[in-house]
Amino acid sequence: MTPMIQIEGLRKRFGQSEVLKGIDLHIREKEVISIIGPSGSGKSTLLRCMNLLEEVSEGKVIVDGNDLTDSRTDINHVRTEMGMVFQQFNLFPHKRVLDNITLAPIEVRKWEREAAEKKAYLLLDKVGLREKADSWPSQLSGGQMQRVAIARALAMDPKVMLFDEPTSALDPEMIGEVLAVMKELANEGMTMVVVTHEMGFAREVCDRVLFMDEGRIEEEGAPNELFSHPKRERTRSFLGKVL
Amino acid sequence: MDWSVIVEYKDLFIRGLFYTTVLTIGAVFTGLVIGLSLGLMRLSKKRLIYVPAKLYIDVFRGTPLLLQILFIHLALLPAVTKDLLGLNSPDAILSGFVALSLNAGAYIAEIFRGGIQSIEKGQTEAARSLGMSHSQAMRHIILPQAFKRMLPPLGNEFIALLKDSSLVSVIAVNDLIYAAQTTAKVTWERWAPYITAGVLYFILTYLLSRVVFWLEKRYSTEEER
Repeated sequence: MTPMIQIEGLRKRFGQSEVLKGIDLHIREKEVISIIGPSGSGKSTLLRCMNLLEEVSEGKVIVDGNDLTDSRTDINHVRTEMGMVFQQFNLFPHKRVLDNITLAPIEVRKWEREAAEKKAYLLLDKVGLREKADSWPSQLSGGQMQRVAIARALAMDPKVMLFDEPTSALDPEMIGEVLAVMKELANEGMTMVVVTHEMGFAREVCDRVLFMDEGRIEEEGAPNELFSHPKRERTRSFLGKVL
Repeated sequence: MDWSVIVEYKDLFIRGLFYTTVLTIGAVFTGLVIGLSLGLMRLSKKRLIYVPAKLYIDVFRGTPLLLQILFIHLALLPAVTKDLLGLNSPDAILSGFVALSLNAGAYIAEIFRGGIQSIEKGQTEAARSLGMSHSQAMRHIILPQAFKRMLPPLGNEFIALLKDSSLVSVIAVNDLIYAAQTTAKVTWERWAPYITAGVLYFILTYLLSRVVFWLEKRYSTEEER
């Protein structure tokens, strides 16, 4: 079976500094992967290369058979198949919650408003926020905003969901509600790539954990194995600091 | 002070009011179209697109409006209407409209650019990650938010434009200043005509600032509160 996401020899440079120094990674359908590592290790950049929010300097990124580094690929189309959730939520502040969710299905997928809204209400049910449909984003708590952001991404029926430190900007008491939604999503069989500092989530929910350091995947493995018996010294010292 | 001259020459002032208003409103709308286009060009990553826009903006902001009005009326437009098309010299009102629009376009372009750049990068990224094209993201996400932030500086620009429109009197457009000057010259009454013109300008700018204030209030609804 061809992998959902296939990354070969990926390098990313910002001016002089090389942030990703040759990444090879295959992600299977329905796999849930978390990427951990110290800040500045390139984990967010790697994630953002997967939907080309960052341009790739060298190497290949192939998503569901589409080579993103090929200039003939319709990147907008590929992105409709990949949801992304950001650390800072990035809800559209000038649109109500419901319109945040229905905008892309209506404008990009050309759905009827009625169908898009029906779907949006289902998704709001899923994240437990149906009663907030008519609220403005600014009236929500951080945890609620992030759950709306997840619903917004899911409205496009993506095949993959990318999470860029989804709980890092949240107050501690709100982290749980967001992780619960993500866990449910994982159980439903969504392919997920999660950059996170939540080791509990990585351990409990993920099929595979990648440890990144200085632009390389230093170590990877099943969560139990990696957390309990890290092979590399760097992994050990990182886990020693965060666990 | 003889205020009866105002009554005597009221037609001149009414016409002046009309020309000043029409010229300003016309230049505001044309300037908005030019400004939005230039502002977007200015933000392009392609040299061929942003360099001409930058050049335009620099030239129009770096030279006096009075010079632009004279140049357009006496050199640029006649070159088109007379030499190229074989028609008469351009109407002063047309020259004034063109000069004010082009000038306003340069200032409005910078307001648009600033407004667009003030929107967090995450907004574009969120829109693009949902599969929206660059122009869809601009239209639905960036511009509506930027517009709200641009309203106060746009208001300033419109008020400045209204007052600067008085410069077109040098090419004999029958605007408010022209009415005041003519009345003063003919009647030898120096106070009343200029005070009248000043009061009328003030009323116009005051009304304009109320419109902008109303727009600002209308567009800052519950969101972001």
